[in-house]
Amino acid sequence: MSDHEHYDHSPAPPMSDAGSQALAEALRSSFVIVKLALAALLVVIFAAGFFTVGPQEKAVILRFGKPQGEAQKMLLGAGLHWSLPYPIDEVIRIPITEIQKVSSTVGWYLTSPEMELAGTEPPAGPSLNPQIDGYVVTADRNIIHTRATVSYHIDDPRTAIFNFANGTNQQFNLAGVSNAVQNAVNEALILSAARFNVDDIITRDIAGFQDAVSQRVSELAEREQLGVAIDQVQVQSVAPRQLKDVFAMVTTARQNRDKLVNDALSEQNRIASQAGALAASITNAAESARTRYVTAIESDAMAFTELLPKYESNPNLFAQLELAKAMTQILTNVQDKIFLPQRADGKPRELRLQLNREPPQPKSAANP
Amino acid sequence: MKKNLITIVIAAVLVMIFALLLFTFQVRQSEVAVLTTFGKPAANNLDQPDLYFKWPWPIQQVYRFDKRTQNFEDKYSENLTADNTMLLTSVYVGWRISNAKDFFPKFAGGSVEVAQRQLETMLRSAKAAVIGKHNLSDFVNPDPKQLKLEAIEDEIKTAVQNQLATQNYGISIDFLGVKKLGLPESVTQTVFDRMKSERQVLISEAQFQGEAEATKIKSAAERQAADVLANAQAEATRIEGSGVAEAAKTLAVFQQNPELAIFQLQLEALKNSLNQKSTLIFDERTPPFSLFQNLPANTQTK
Repeated sequence: MSDHEHYDHSPAPPMSDAGSQALAEALRSSFVIVKLALAALLVVIFAAGFFTVGPQEKAVILRFGKPQGEAQKMLLGAGLHWSLPYPIDEVIRIPITEIQKVSSTVGWYLTSPEMELAGTEPPAGPSLNPQIDGYVVTADRNIIHTRATVSYHIDDPRTAIFNFANGTNQQFNLAGVSNAVQNAVNEALILSAARFNVDDIITRDIAGFQDAVSQRVSELAEREQLGVAIDQVQVQSVAPRQLKDVFAMVTTARQNRDKLVNDALSEQNRIASQAGALAASITNAAESARTRYVTAIESDAMAFTELLPKYESNPNLFAQLELAKAMTQILTNVQDKIFLPQRADGKPRELRLQLNREPPQPKSAANP
Repeated sequence: MKKNLITIVIAAVLVMIFALLLFTFQVRQSEVAVLTTFGKPAANNLDQPDLYFKWPWPIQQVYRFDKRTQNFEDKYSENLTADNTMLLTSVYVGWRISNAKDFFPKFAGGSVEVAQRQLETMLRSAKAAVIGKHNLSDFVNPDPKQLKLEAIEDEIKTAVQNQLATQNYGISIDFLGVKKLGLPESVTQTVFDRMKSERQVLISEAQFQGEAEATKIKSAAERQAADVLANAQAEATRIEGSGVAEAAKTLAVFQQNPELAIFQLQLEALKNSLNQKSTLIFDERTPPFSLFQNLPANTQTK
């Protein structure tokens, strides 16, 4: 300022009036510049308040350190937004997608994404190194591998973003809460495995185990107030690589057992229906025999009633007639007739019979 | 005058901004601050996000801390259970600075790392004490009532919380859970051997069960079939018997003349028995061949 004054005074020292006028002139012009500068500054400040949010992130405005907007409204989505300049408002950006995913870090043997893709596994040693190979201990004290992937979404942004730290930096992101969810999944796997038997986890009750893990993760998320809602939990469990063969053999043996039982069940059905059919035919035969018998007797009785008067009129004659009729029929039907007259001397004849019914005949041989 | 006014306004704005920077400070949602006056901390923690007033340095000074929940996991370490099983465990702890003014004098520069080292020491002793009180069956058990893993977590948490409270560290534990549970490497091999033999038992059991079950089902089916047939036979006998009983009602008809009835029956029997494929040997006394007997010509020729 003093330099300025000195500059103003030195070239034209004479008139104090003219000097003050010149000073006023200079001041006026500099004030115009200041005004313009101020206006420009205001515009810059206003313009600087605009900011954009990308599709893979959300923004939160902190006014005097306090997040603006409640619940989901706190998160500003993709697009153009405006805030007050820095000391008043602070814009923080959080990398966030609609659905968050996190996988467990315990319970699975050491492998790499390349191996997973190729479907190969690292060679199995005789034991598991606790530092590198993850596993869980089941209720029946078996060792198996299991892992889970959890999908979740942010339910309460204030909690999820501002209540969980990741390391010691002052950044705001979801790494802290993601870490907490991950540990909840780890705990859920260990706790659920501790109360399930190995066969239930691997074969018999896969869904039950998954439900237990899912339930536990949700329970922990609620109890630990993570501000997230669990959407889905997927669990995968396998027997240790070292025992793959024996586990497969058990499965085969059980399948064989089921097949044997199923075969027996169909055999049971066959026997039962066969017996039923046979029983029905036996009773049916009895029924028809009964009917036959009864009707035969009845028709006999009817014939008897008709014959009775004839018989009573002359029993002897009737008998003789009937007998003669019968003999006629008999002699017609009988195959061999041998007439054996009495010996003239009245002595009895000796008769030798060769009892051989059904002598072999070409006719009968032809019939099976 | 106008010039002076503008100058004054500009000066005032500048002074205000300067004063604001000098006399105020902000606390963010995730922070807690402690205000010290000549090095002496104020009675209250400033844990609500807002704009606060302070006297400029060196009168008052602001210390800020992260009040968010920190995740800490201890080392995977070995402990003996009550029944002498070596167990490997690792726990995760969600902890935070709950009371900044207690916290920051205790740890150099209010460092989270230093606090976590302290926490790890406490966890180590708490874990050893709690695990040593429980049998392995409390850690893994198919019976949910006997499984005490959650209780164990709570016990460790309570033990650490008590230590933190007595020593007034200004730290609180929000949650604690088991992250890893395992057995020493040498033990895994024996577990594998045991699992293998258990599998062998299951294999033979499945084979045996299948055969036994199949035999059981088949023999039961056969027994049932025999029952059904026996019942059918009995039913058949009953039906035939009822036929005889029904026929007996017609007996009265035959009683009118039993002689005729018997004669008829005999005749019928004779007819039926001397049917086809029978051989009849008879002499002249058998009617109607008895006719031969009385032929006079016959005797003559003889």
